[in-house]
Amino acid sequence: MSAVPAADRARRHVAAAAAIALSYQVVLRQLTSRSRIIGLSLLALVAPVSAFALGSSDPSLDDAVRLIASVGLGLVLPVVALVFAGAAIGDLREDKTLVYLWLRPMDRWPIVLGAALAAGTLAAPITIVPIVAAAALTGAGNGIVLATLLATIVGLVAYVAVFTLFGVWLKRFIVWGLAYILIWEGFIAQAGAGVARIALRKYTRSILVDRTGADLDLADFSLAMAVITPVVVAVLAIAVASWRLANQDVD
Amino acid sequence: MTGLPPPNAGGTPPTGALPPPTVGVVPPAPPALSGMIAVNAVSKFFGSVVAVSDVSFAIDQGVTALLGPNGAGKSTLFRILCGLTPPSRGTVDVLGANPRTDRDVRGRVSLVPQQDALFDHLSAGEFLELAARTHGMADPDGAARRALELVDLTHVGTKAVGEFSKGMRQRVKVAAALVNDPEVLILDEPLTGLDPVQRRHMIALFHRLGDQGRCVLVSSHVLDEVAKIGSRVLVIAQGRLVATGDYRDLRELMDDRAHRIRLATSDPRKLATALVERGLVSGLSIDERNVMVDTLDVDAFGRQVAALSVELGVRLTEVAPLDDDLESVFRYLVEGR
Repeated sequence: MSAVPAADRARRHVAAAAAIALSYQVVLRQLTSRSRIIGLSLLALVAPVSAFALGSSDPSLDDAVRLIASVGLGLVLPVVALVFAGAAIGDLREDKTLVYLWLRPMDRWPIVLGAALAAGTLAAPITIVPIVAAAALTGAGNGIVLATLLATIVGLVAYVAVFTLFGVWLKRFIVWGLAYILIWEGFIAQAGAGVARIALRKYTRSILVDRTGADLDLADFSLAMAVITPVVVAVLAIAVASWRLANQDVD
Repeated sequence: MTGLPPPNAGGTPPTGALPPPTVGVVPPAPPALSGMIAVNAVSKFFGSVVAVSDVSFAIDQGVTALLGPNGAGKSTLFRILCGLTPPSRGTVDVLGANPRTDRDVRGRVSLVPQQDALFDHLSAGEFLELAARTHGMADPDGAARRALELVDLTHVGTKAVGEFSKGMRQRVKVAAALVNDPEVLILDEPLTGLDPVQRRHMIALFHRLGDQGRCVLVSSHVLDEVAKIGSRVLVIAQGRLVATGDYRDLRELMDDRAHRIRLATSDPRKLATALVERGLVSGLSIDERNVMVDTLDVDAFGRQVAALSVELGVRLTEVAPLDDDLESVFRYLVEGR
């Protein structure tokens, strides 16, 4: 063992960029499961299939936007993000392989950021392509397609970061995530504008409304607010997840 | 082992008929122990459960064995030493730093965890190369190759570690812990799943690493393993450090203590009376079919009990030692019984 070169025996740590890349590489491999990708891809097909059905009946712009907001941005996007982002650190924690990243001379935030980027890498094609395709299939024009693209990207960034935090913090991250998506965003946040402020769905809906002029409830933020706030939420979620990772017990 | 109390220091004799432990029963912790690993008055609670209770010790280079039964607190103590969980009370210094908060010291310490978790889709070489990269090694390929050679796994090729046997996975874990050339190596039950040849190979490796000036701390719940792992032992039971010192002292303690033996016989009362008259027992109890005896000289007892039963015309159907296991040693050290 003493054959290790002296240069390698010196005190060392892993630079942030290298740590992000390593975490990204590890988590990407761990998340890449054929059954998970196929299952989520089938779920994502719900958006274009629904849009195709709607588009064949010559829908109004409001109907088209409502479909994208509810099925695409309200269901497909958060669920796919939850499954990948929650598992990014959550699976490592549960199968006890997190120790192989945690016990290394690297800061915590690059581990979390790399994991979130890996989740985003897998979630992006499974969400952006079918949801944007759904917007096109409604036949409501180019405006809704571009608005959907922007809303999906912004929503993806925020959901991935928030659900990465869920995976770091919560043991049953899938259950908590589904509760957030279905109960909080899908039910409680519909009750009023005040509660809706802390639902990411309101921001993605606001982008759709701002760019298309459609009439949609609980979607009254300006474009700047609707874009900046989710990005800020994402940064905060990564920061809190990093703090949590540094301070929690690891098995 | 620096800062350790010497054997026989400060032990309070346990009550009861049996002699007290003669290996160093741990006295109140001296302040500010120092060493490559220094543990000062560390306790760990999980809710109302005390996993580690007021443990203090310090160790330096060489191989030290941490001996304790399953559930004694060994793994929790190791997790504290690596910073995976903070102590509820007390302090831990590893290479002069807090392993929980000091990023750089993690590059100088390695853990072989007890759990059988690996990145199963990777080959052994890929896993070790990843380990080297995550340690910031300048030559990860070379580091991985050297580590594979140390555990005799150079022949496994590109087969995924998920397809490895338990013993091979254990060796991969050990290799991953060696890839960064650590100054402190902490191994939690590393011999589990290894065949006898690999055990010998691995124990020899631990000794080579210790001889090179590293601090090697190895846990086990198997007494005979500890005899081979290291002459220096820490004994932990029920979360408490109950003895420290040289393995030979512990072995002598085991031989010197009273042994409890159950004799199944046709006439327990007659046999018990004769055993007391011959002075072969230090204590006994009887029921309808058995005599339970405590004896300080198990060899003499064994030689004489059969002849005695013949002489008495008593049928002896079973002679069963009741405490010839590690648990009984720990019980003796902790409770004096």
